[in-house]
Amino acid sequence: MKLEPRFPDDVSQEDRELLERRAARLREKPRESEEESVLWAAEFPVGEDSYALPLDTLRAAVPLKMVTPVPLSPPHVIGILRFQGQILTAMSLSSLLGGRGWREDPAVLLVVDPGLGGRLLALDCERIPKPVPLPHALVEEALARATGAVAEVTLPGLHQVNLLDLRRLMDRRASEKRDA
Amino acid sequence: MLDPMMEQLLPGFVDECKEIVERVTDHLIELEKAHERLRFDDLARGLHTLKGSAATLGLAELSELAHRMEDAVLPLRGKTTALPGALTDALLKTLDTWMAHLRATTAKSELPDLKPSHKLLEAVRHAVQAVEPGKPAANNGKAGAEKRKPSAAAEKEKEKEKKSSKREREAPVARAEPAPAEPAAEEDAGAAEEAGSWRVRTREVVSLLHEVERLREVRLRLEERRRELERGISQLARLGILAQTAEVRALLMGVQRALSADGDEAGDIVASMEDELKAICTLPVRTVLEPLRRSVRDLCKQSGKLARLSIVGGEVSLDRRVLESLRGPLVHLVRNAVDHGLEVPDVREARGKHREGIVVVRVEQQGNMLFIEVSDDGNGLDLALIKQAARELSIVPGVELDAMAPAQLHQLIFRNGFSTRRTVTEVSGRGVGMDVVRSQIQALQGHIEVQSTPGQGTRFTLTLPAELGSSPVLVVRCGEHELGIPMPAVETSLLARSGELRVARTRVQLSHRDHLIPVQDLGTLLALRQPEVPHDGQPLLVLQSQGRRIALAVDEVIGDRELVIRPLPPEVRDLAAYQGAATLARGELVLIVRSDWLTGVERREANLTGTRRALVVDDSLTARALHRTALESAGWSVHTASSGRQALEQLRHSAYDVMVSDIGMDEMDGYQLTVQARARPELEAMPIILVSARDSESDQQRGAASGADGFLSKKDCAAGRLIAEVQTVIARRKGAA
Repeated sequence: MKLEPRFPDDVSQEDRELLERRAARLREKPRESEEESVLWAAEFPVGEDSYALPLDTLRAAVPLKMVTPVPLSPPHVIGILRFQGQILTAMSLSSLLGGRGWREDPAVLLVVDPGLGGRLLALDCERIPKPVPLPHALVEEALARATGAVAEVTLPGLHQVNLLDLRRLMDRRASEKRDA
Repeated sequence: MLDPMMEQLLPGFVDECKEIVERVTDHLIELEKAHERLRFDDLARGLHTLKGSAATLGLAELSELAHRMEDAVLPLRGKTTALPGALTDALLKTLDTWMAHLRATTAKSELPDLKPSHKLLEAVRHAVQAVEPGKPAANNGKAGAEKRKPSAAAEKEKEKEKKSSKREREAPVARAEPAPAEPAAEEDAGAAEEAGSWRVRTREVVSLLHEVERLREVRLRLEERRRELERGISQLARLGILAQTAEVRALLMGVQRALSADGDEAGDIVASMEDELKAICTLPVRTVLEPLRRSVRDLCKQSGKLARLSIVGGEVSLDRRVLESLRGPLVHLVRNAVDHGLEVPDVREARGKHREGIVVVRVEQQGNMLFIEVSDDGNGLDLALIKQAARELSIVPGVELDAMAPAQLHQLIFRNGFSTRRTVTEVSGRGVGMDVVRSQIQALQGHIEVQSTPGQGTRFTLTLPAELGSSPVLVVRCGEHELGIPMPAVETSLLARSGELRVARTRVQLSHRDHLIPVQDLGTLLALRQPEVPHDGQPLLVLQSQGRRIALAVDEVIGDRELVIRPLPPEVRDLAAYQGAATLARGELVLIVRSDWLTGVERREANLTGTRRALVVDDSLTARALHRTALESAGWSVHTASSGRQALEQLRHSAYDVMVSDIGMDEMDGYQLTVQARARPELEAMPIILVSARDSESDQQRGAASGADGFLSKKDCAAGRLIAEVQTVIARRKGAA
């Protein structure tokens, strides 16, 4: 029995074409080699700039609510919050990066695993991040150039994404604290 | 090779055996001192259980060895003498080998040889059989002689046992051995009790704890949804179309009530689950301390000393994870007390002490703090020896060393590589120990102190937070912050009356029960606001800690709660002000302020004087953090407010050199705040900068019209721009003046 595609009468020609294009894309063979050669990252804005974290470090995105401010804490500490049984420190990413402007007040906290023995951290974020593939070759090139916690990955079209190395960012903060 | 199904049961079996071996060890040590029928029976039961369980799992070699241990012990049933020392030694060593073999089987690593244990037991068994009732057996040459000349009866018995063991090996899943006649009934009862319990992996329980936490968060979200619904209903009512929306509002109010009831029920379930899990996750401290009796006994045997371990407070229950981490440090401290602290019996006698030294482990829980003392009545720390070792190891320069007080010299024992022993023994001399003990205690967020009196003894005090216990806390409000103060520090609370306050230029005192007590403002101590004299009717808490008293001014006393205080995350853990954080009923975290920090803060008072002060007003936590980052890095002292109303309140009491305010805030926006501030004569000249997410000409004009001096968009608030704008508006104001 041959199955005929059914289109309801109210589907416009434009929608029909869109559906056909999607179907054609799905029929394409997955390009495994391409998948393998990219690093999936979570991209989000910090002020005018675009930043990204390796997707595998991201544990959750939660609304920036129920954060308890901690008086006398360093300025980059927004406060503490509970997440799945742990008490986490919520930090201002913009402040950690040295104080940058922002477009809108952050409303999201990214719960991340910076590779500190399973201890999680929360970083504020203006918008829920979107997953983006970063070509490995470009990432490697940027990492080789980087001297700090941020590697500037320049994508085709000169779109620049600042890839964050959270562990180095935290280490830097810890060493600043020790020096102070 | 083990049956795969049996193999799965091995980890649980190891745990079970560990408990039995610990119990049997304890009995052996006590029975070596004096006979106790009930102990003996439980010892026999323990060995029998080891044998039967090992056979059930197909571990024939271990079953056989347990059988031999039983053989060595059972002939002494019914006798009233203490266990012979040689027998106790042999059984303890065999138990060690037994456990090592079991662990190696589980880990699939190289198995220890059981033959020496069999030989040892065989020798000691014959020695025991040769002892007449009422006489203790000695581990002398007799055992060997007995071994060489087994009696006919013994030969016959041995043959019978061989057959029995063979049967066991051939039918490994059957529990072949009959229980000893006397303890059988009790064993059955014990087994019935055991049937009601399961063995569960730690990580599964921890994971369950996390799930309960998640459930608590879901319950909080339910509450949040209910509040949103409530706001929606209010908005509908405000629209003035009551008649048209009556039906919808009734429906929504019904949903709101149902949500509220569901939330309450979820809260009850979460609380009940937490209580149950708390019971599962804790164990009495004695489970870690009791096995130390064996260490003390063995060490005494090796060193020729006599010692008794006394445990006080072993019933205190603690988080199993904390207990596990405490095991190593406690073993080390107790072994050190015997090896380094106690003198040999003759020396003790010569010094007028009892020949038997005493090592005391005392456990006490006060609130959420746990105190463990390990003390001995030995020689005390030898200061001359410590100095000599420190000099030889070049730990401290000689000149410095000579100037050190005894308490400072005591601290040297915690240095890496420090040891006063010149030779390495099994117990000490490697210089690895006290520094590791200290770092392990610090890893538990605790600390260790040492006190020592020459000739009288040494006491180590471990202080650490005890999770899962709850403490009484008084919750207070200070500005927008809710904070907890440990109840034991609160003597009383009262309302301020100007007649009872003595106000001087730099300090305020409260006349309270014929005493003058310094008054501190909680907000000032936490750098939330400038110092202010308490107004009439403001709550004051009289606190007492470490011999000091203060009257603490707060904005509101919310009430006392029983809270579980948990450590802060590492990023804020070294803030001296806090003991930890606890979760309130609705799930929000409350910081617990240390009472000793509150009562000892005079030295920090002057911190803010002389610096330029800024007030940052923003309803966004992160925006406040960013402004603080920029301003504090430029040397400003920053106070914050989360709303226009709060800012006006702070401006009523404190003077600021600049105010940076967000425009888009609920209730009162930045324009309204500026207008109201300017309406006060004392704030007329205060520079005000408005910050907005939008960057439109009309916003800027509106800001200027309201009385603001400067305007910045949030994207321009990069550190440099904000400081530049602040400097510009201040300079402009000064120029105008």
